[in-house]
Amino acid sequence: MSVTSWVNETVVRDPTERRIFTILGIVTALLVVGVLTGVIGIRFLLFQVSLVGMYALLSLGLNVQWGYAGLINFSVAAFWGLGAYSAALLTAPNSPLGLDLHPAFGFLAAIVVSALVAILIGIPTLRLREDYLAIASLGLAEVIRVIILNERQWTAGSSGISGIPSLLEWLPLTSAATTASVVVVLGIVVFLFLRRVHRSPWGRVLRTIRSDEDLAKALGKNTYQFKMQAFVVGSVIMGIAGAFYAHLNLYIDPSDLVPLTTFYIWIAVILGGTGSNRGAVVGAAVVIAIREGTRFLNDVPAINTLGLDLAPLRLLFVGILIILIMRFRQDGLLPPKDELIWPAAKDKTTAAGGGGSGGPNAQAEGGDD
Amino acid sequence: MDGDVYEGANLGKDDAVLKTSGLEKAFGGLVATDDVSFEVERGTITGMIGPNGAGKSTLFNLVSGFYENDAGRVMVNGEDVTDLEPYERARKGLVRTFQTPRRLEGMSVREAMLVGPGPQAGESIFSLFFSADEVTREERANIKQARELLERFEIAHLIDQPSTELSGGQLKLVELARAFTTNPDILLLDEPVAGVNPTLANDIKRFIRELNEEGQTFLIIEHDMPFIMDLADPIIVLDQGKVLMEGTPEEVQTDERVIEAYLGGAGP
Repeated sequence: MSVTSWVNETVVRDPTERRIFTILGIVTALLVVGVLTGVIGIRFLLFQVSLVGMYALLSLGLNVQWGYAGLINFSVAAFWGLGAYSAALLTAPNSPLGLDLHPAFGFLAAIVVSALVAILIGIPTLRLREDYLAIASLGLAEVIRVIILNERQWTAGSSGISGIPSLLEWLPLTSAATTASVVVVLGIVVFLFLRRVHRSPWGRVLRTIRSDEDLAKALGKNTYQFKMQAFVVGSVIMGIAGAFYAHLNLYIDPSDLVPLTTFYIWIAVILGGTGSNRGAVVGAAVVIAIREGTRFLNDVPAINTLGLDLAPLRLLFVGILIILIMRFRQDGLLPPKDELIWPAAKDKTTAAGGGGSGGPNAQAEGGDD
Repeated sequence: MDGDVYEGANLGKDDAVLKTSGLEKAFGGLVATDDVSFEVERGTITGMIGPNGAGKSTLFNLVSGFYENDAGRVMVNGEDVTDLEPYERARKGLVRTFQTPRRLEGMSVREAMLVGPGPQAGESIFSLFFSADEVTREERANIKQARELLERFEIAHLIDQPSTELSGGQLKLVELARAFTTNPDILLLDEPVAGVNPTLANDIKRFIRELNEEGQTFLIIEHDMPFIMDLADPIIVLDQGKVLMEGTPEEVQTDERVIEAYLGGAGP
């Protein structure tokens, strides 16, 4: 029964997934209608799109680490912050470094810095049991936040960095539309990159490491190196998301690096379906929808008359949502469904051998033992 | 028992794929492996037996590099691999399976099989973008090989199954097939028929014998005496972390010391 669905290449696998995509479609349509009728400001919506895009990048990054390779990284906010500060310090005219460089250098620095820090934290921890990375990354997040807070001569400390330039100001769009487009393009590029590297022998080794690292070793795989690659790739994607945030918010200070971001991203990945790129994106959208949507709950007349202040309860809603998902859809909204086999090699060979000719006949002739 | 009861293994074989000398491993005060030297001749199915706690699994872990030894050397094809990581030993041709079958969560049998073949071009991110043709070619060949092996092992009908849904015996077969795709010089099987039903155990015996006839060398730990006595020659007997003796199945079965070791050493 699973044969056809297992090999299924289409986007939508089962009725539940179809329902999820339908709901996403309806919500998108409602938002568009909201903008057209003037209920929702276009600037506000574009800002939300940028936030979703940034969260999607972060979730995709964490998905490489946790979803592909089983690496527990609790310093999502730190890598994001490193990216944001790299961009801010290099590009803002009034940063302590005073370099005033083009944003491209900011993104480049974000990539280099997050990769370097990932390697440094990976060297001592990735050879050990998986919990050591979890502990080390938990510490790293705080260390980086405190360093940025205290090294004022380099980072401007708690006063933060303002005046970060917007991206691509020459485009004939509003700045909100430009930033939203930038993150959509970034998201698509990262998504396609990950899609290619995941459905491959590389992704397959990571999946093996995730379920049984000893087995991967016994088969001659240098698991340390694979884990390091996954960790660096994921961290670099987080760094890129951070650099983007600097140019979205145009201001950054150390209080942005709180662990809450890390846990929102973990929720997004688990909610979406651990190991699934589509899931990471949808999970990010859901988390942002709850985080931002609950701000307006008090404006709904029915709730308003109850005299309750619901907005601060948003974490509670996130919690309830997780419990519901774990209860009714344990693998997340859109769990991974692809066999990790290089798509170009797949079509021919698997289609050709569908019958499985070996079985019964071979069994019969071997029965004499 | 006297020290001289331990006759040791047969050393000085002509063409030893695997050779250990003076391997030692202690866990705290417990000496699990005590001066173990043995050799596995190329082309043989060498058995390894011993009562519970004799140190068979520890020895396997030492040989495959999963445990670090306190003393002694491990040689594969005459090359010293003692200081190498498990994955490096695997690449030198020494490949092991595990006693408890490993279920690869979220992987189909086809995927699980494809992890086997040695360094694949597609395991490098760089190649995935810059030599995609080579990746495709290799992947096709590996898929073909996986299918052929599964057909040979009479489990081709399971190829699309999630590997978590296999029975213990089927999983053992997949493990054996996958280990074989690494093209090893010597395969270390840790209890290949433990918990496997007799029919499937017979199949496994037949496949091991077939592979052996094609030149594959095996070292097999097994508790199932009829199975190992029928399949392996020579057989190495471990007792209390030491090599008690080595011999043909007949010699082992009739050896006083072996019987005593298994029956609990009532003393002379």
